[in-house]
Amino acid sequence: MADKEATVYIIDLGESMADCHNGRDESDLDFGMRYVWDKISTTVAANRKTWTLGVVGLNTDETNNPQDAQQLQGYEHISVLQEIGPMTMTSLRGLKSQIVPCTTSSGDAISAVVVAQSMIETYTKKLKYNRKIILVTNGESPIDDDNVADVAERLNQNNVQLIIVGVDFDDPEYGFKEEDKSSLKRRNEKSLRKLADACNDGVVGTMQQAVEELVIPRLKPVRPFKAYDGPLTLGDPSKHASALSIQVERYFKTKRATPPSASTVVDADRSAFTQTQGFDDEDTEMGGTGFSGVKQMRTYRVDDPDAPGGKRDVEFEELEKGYQYGRTVVHISESDFSITKYETKKGFSIIGFIPFSSYDPFINMGETGLIVASKFNEHAETALSALIHALFEVESYAVARYVNKDGAQVQILLLKPNPGIEDEFECLYDVPLPFAEDVRAYQFPPLDKVLTVTGGVLKEHRLLPNKDLNEAMSDFVDAMDLTSFDVDEDGNPVEYAPIDENYNPVIHRINQAIRARAVDPDSPIGPPAEILLRFSQPPAKLIKKAKSEIEVLVDAAEVKKVPEKGKGRFKKNTVKPLSGLDIDSLLGESKRKTISADNAIPEFKQILSSADDHDVIESAVKQMGDIIRKLITDSFADLFYPRAAENLRVMREELTNLEEPTLYNKFLKTLKKSLLSGELGGDRREMWFKHIIGGHLSLITNEDSEVSDVTEDEAKAVSSFLSLMS
Amino acid sequence: MSWRRGEDEEHEGEEEEIDETDYKTQKDAVLFAIDVSSSMLQPPPDSSGSKKADKDSAVVAALKCAYHFMQQRIIAQPKDMMGVLLFGTEKSRFRDETGGRSGSGYPHCYLFTDLDVPAAEDVKRLRELVEEGEDVDNVLVPSKEPVSMSNLLFCANQVFTTNAANFGSRRLFIITDNDSPHGGDKNAKSSAAVRAKDLYDLGVGIELFPVARGDKKFDLSKFYDDIIYQNPTEEQADEIKTSKLGDGLTLLSSLITHINSKQTPKRSLFSNLPFEIAPGLTITVKGYMPLHRQVPARTCYVWLGGEQAQLAQSETIKVDSETRTVEKSEVKKAYKFGGEYIHFKPEEQLALKDMGGSILRIIGFKPRSKIPSWASVKKSTFIFPSEESYVGSTRVFSALWQKLVKSQKVGIAWFVARKNANPVLVAIIPSGNLSEVEEDESPSPWLPDGLWLYPLPFADDVRNVDISQPPKPADELTDKMREIVQNLQLPKARYDPHKYPNPSLQWHYKILQALALDEEVPEEMDDLTLPKYRQIDKRVGQTLHEWKAEVAEKAKGLMEVRSLKRELDDVDPDRPVKRAKAPPSGAMSNAELKAAFEADTLKKLTVAVLKDILASKGLSTVGKKAELLEKLEQWIEENA
Repeated sequence: MADKEATVYIIDLGESMADCHNGRDESDLDFGMRYVWDKISTTVAANRKTWTLGVVGLNTDETNNPQDAQQLQGYEHISVLQEIGPMTMTSLRGLKSQIVPCTTSSGDAISAVVVAQSMIETYTKKLKYNRKIILVTNGESPIDDDNVADVAERLNQNNVQLIIVGVDFDDPEYGFKEEDKSSLKRRNEKSLRKLADACNDGVVGTMQQAVEELVIPRLKPVRPFKAYDGPLTLGDPSKHASALSIQVERYFKTKRATPPSASTVVDADRSAFTQTQGFDDEDTEMGGTGFSGVKQMRTYRVDDPDAPGGKRDVEFEELEKGYQYGRTVVHISESDFSITKYETKKGFSIIGFIPFSSYDPFINMGETGLIVASKFNEHAETALSALIHALFEVESYAVARYVNKDGAQVQILLLKPNPGIEDEFECLYDVPLPFAEDVRAYQFPPLDKVLTVTGGVLKEHRLLPNKDLNEAMSDFVDAMDLTSFDVDEDGNPVEYAPIDENYNPVIHRINQAIRARAVDPDSPIGPPAEILLRFSQPPAKLIKKAKSEIEVLVDAAEVKKVPEKGKGRFKKNTVKPLSGLDIDSLLGESKRKTISADNAIPEFKQILSSADDHDVIESAVKQMGDIIRKLITDSFADLFYPRAAENLRVMREELTNLEEPTLYNKFLKTLKKSLLSGELGGDRREMWFKHIIGGHLSLITNEDSEVSDVTEDEAKAVSSFLSLMS
Repeated sequence: MSWRRGEDEEHEGEEEEIDETDYKTQKDAVLFAIDVSSSMLQPPPDSSGSKKADKDSAVVAALKCAYHFMQQRIIAQPKDMMGVLLFGTEKSRFRDETGGRSGSGYPHCYLFTDLDVPAAEDVKRLRELVEEGEDVDNVLVPSKEPVSMSNLLFCANQVFTTNAANFGSRRLFIITDNDSPHGGDKNAKSSAAVRAKDLYDLGVGIELFPVARGDKKFDLSKFYDDIIYQNPTEEQADEIKTSKLGDGLTLLSSLITHINSKQTPKRSLFSNLPFEIAPGLTITVKGYMPLHRQVPARTCYVWLGGEQAQLAQSETIKVDSETRTVEKSEVKKAYKFGGEYIHFKPEEQLALKDMGGSILRIIGFKPRSKIPSWASVKKSTFIFPSEESYVGSTRVFSALWQKLVKSQKVGIAWFVARKNANPVLVAIIPSGNLSEVEEDESPSPWLPDGLWLYPLPFADDVRNVDISQPPKPADELTDKMREIVQNLQLPKARYDPHKYPNPSLQWHYKILQALALDEEVPEEMDDLTLPKYRQIDKRVGQTLHEWKAEVAEKAKGLMEVRSLKRELDDVDPDRPVKRAKAPPSGAMSNAELKAAFEADTLKKLTVAVLKDILASKGLSTVGKKAELLEKLEQWIEENA
């Protein structure tokens, strides 16, 4: 995907790098390494064999470089710490132990550049590489700049980019100037600048800026991917001579970037002592830090009334593929497997046109594509351009049927003209549209009127805004405009939160945390970088500006929070049919006291809703409990489990609302004992795990209900496997 | 074993969005209760003799609806149940085998299709009854005495209790033309009301589809107002829409429309989400997903050892490198990094994802035009106010909606659907139109009025397509093309998805249905997504013809100008001679490639150049030089 890279980092490890300067409480080396580690760990993260790097130490106590070995002068106290090669976690750790300040200060930075350059030259030969040298120094050791021109010439010949990042180097552009700079450092800065200027691709920057910019997320460049290369037609060229065909190429304009996903692992040493047989697996090779990958194994079961538990294991080899049509299983043999696949031919054909005004952007189903004419095809270029302009002028979109390649599923795309007025770029953009099956017809009441059950229309109602609220909202919306509140240096309005500043917070936060942890495994994870959360709140300046509009709006809205306590319980006893008939009074004398298994849930609810003393509740719970136990006992395999679970769920819900958690918790504990002891007609563990624990029906904790004396941890203990025995 | 794994994962990604707090099985069960009275069986009066006139009796129309519903359900909601209960029939039938009760328990109730995920046989039986009119068992014979509604409701109660015990959504659809089944019989009415309350307490919602006859109004107050409850989660009752017999529109189509609108239960994606409109002004909203890409169900594994093909249910266990089973408590999460695993503790893992709790917070507004036309990355979510946590939410929401509709503005908001969900910046866009305005003006009348959360792409999602296609001025070609565009507008000048069923999906289930029922596999199918080629030719053929000639003319001119320029460039003395021979990588035209291929000089290109060319054709760039060459040559043969 990306080009090959060879980068050499030159890190000044001189004596003075151990000191703190300019009010920082970290040493120059640590400060500079923030930048270096971030860069190196980004390379590690990419995990590419062709992204290579090497490291050279400047001002090391030892001297270890080929130039010195050849007895050349001026290469003392320069050491190759790592030859150029792919970077792994192991080499990262190895490198880390070597990055410590030394007690020397006589290494020559420009000599180090020569060492780095020759490393690159040896490694990359004449091949296609992006070559780069990054020098990090505080410029406190003497530099001999006599042969700057030669060094630069050499770098240019090999197309090497030189980046010099100096700790406390002056940078008028960025706006940094170090006071009381030593004359040596001033001279060195000048020499290094001279070198960079002599290079075709050289730059000197100050570390402050480099570190500051680390928080700006870096976007991963992706090479354009051509999704389609073929004709865009209007009409059918194979049937009608009039049909139009334009050779086009289609690329992705947007593609959802996803955050890195975590793998499931276990501690490797847990099973290390049993590691006798070799297990060649990519995942397990990854060990190193005490983790090994976890794999999934599938087992298959079919219903079998004769087997214990009603199910029986089958071997994977015995199985064939098929589809489900409703609950009917349709077996399809390997040979006619493609029979259900609709045969399609690659193609891209316009169905018709619609005006801009008849399209709502929220009906699109996803990512955007970009369509341009084929390269070096004047006919396509001319035709497509005319189509784009025509669409734009009559304010229309095209709707087209798109099949990416033979056999692919049909898509309907909306083609939008982009005549290149803003972006100097002429193309069609496309977005996918829904099919009939993709639309769910949900009904909602209208928002600017209230319909009564009898069919009347109300224009004034508590659910509708009055004139004051409408006006306040209108003023507020206008005051909070994001496109004009801020201006740039020239006084032009700047749009707030444009797409190119909108970084995916999760992607960058996770990547940053992984890199930080890779470099320093003990570092805690910090809060998210500010830049990632800046669009989570309205800009302070705008809020200030719109203060009065906001106040008026809040007053006009008269929104009141529903008190926490009232939720859930306020509905009690207020349920009536549309006519308002009081059903309870209908029952009158024949008020229900006993619960039948057939109609357990309604009767249980009705008894509780009219219960006036604790005994009634207790009796209802007992009856319901017996019904649940009987359902489980009578259940053939898991047949009645859902029903038992539903009864249990209602019991839990009602008792939580009635603030009688103890009754439920008591019942559940006895039920568990019965289930696991087998006294409810055999092995009923599935009921416990799948339906009760899996269905979130375990004990009512003090988080569910304030009056419960069961803590979350106790509930967990009861749910867990271990307490099965107790 | 892991084929289509990629898709699985994608699917899981979607599922993750479903609200976790709503733990009740999110499945839907619908029982059709169809009144089989003599008036329901009566064919419509043959009034005008027009083609559109009704031919079906109300019962047949209702059964057709149920059949249609069943087929749709298999495609769109393969895990949901449905059943058909006829009432007022001479015959009675409940369940034969299980349940213990005999038919006599519910006289004049006939459970035609028991509540379950439909099987192929259910589809067939229902189809035979409606399409071929084969009423083998004489079920469609009305009883002489009236059915007891309380009995019917209790029968439905039992069906739901046993078959769909823990379904999140259970609905009883009653289709009848009788607004007063018990007349003045107070006792019968009362006991029906009691049974209706039972259903309500059980969690079963009743949806009434009244059929009106002629000018007679279906009067809810006579009976059904005591039976029907308002959905407790809705602020306002849904309107009950009466279908009319003998109207211009057929009864069937109006019934289908009404029933289709209840096809999917209104499942919310999230509820009780705080919507902070301004600092100090928060309301609550619920989220829905009215648009969702429907794909054919995945394959399953089938066991053929028994009498019938049987579904093999799979269970997964996690094993470590020595295939030792791993307990859930041992499992940790780690990221692959530089060939190793970087581990975070569970609480750190959570902290990493924590960007503040669930919220929808407006940070300001922009004109609608400021959203670039390419800025699309994911389908939108629909939101609607709820008064659950903040009284007054609906009116504030309505005021915002009205303002956004009027001013053509959109809200920009920070959106976290759930705790630990990935935050996203959305544009809040209104759907629908103010009711004073003509209804037809809403671009998407098939969607409800409300606000949509339109996800804006992140900078990370935008691909840099580096293709220079400098804009050209419009000219006379444009003018003629305008004519063509205006002549080929879609019906009603809008895209109505209902006119475009997904052909791949339809075909898949059509074939499956045929296989499941052992019927002949169809050869072809109407693909409504195919453009109407003949019409296009008829309407704009002539214009297109002329236009094409003009394009050819102009392209020729352009080509000449360019080659002239190229020649001029070539004689430019300052240009190194070498340049003409080695074209810049990747920029060889197809013609040049073909020439090179024929002259057999492709192999002179370096690997880097080859890779560039391949990449520019969208081909894989993996492999040795010989392989790369082969790929390129193949491409040239096919395309250049």
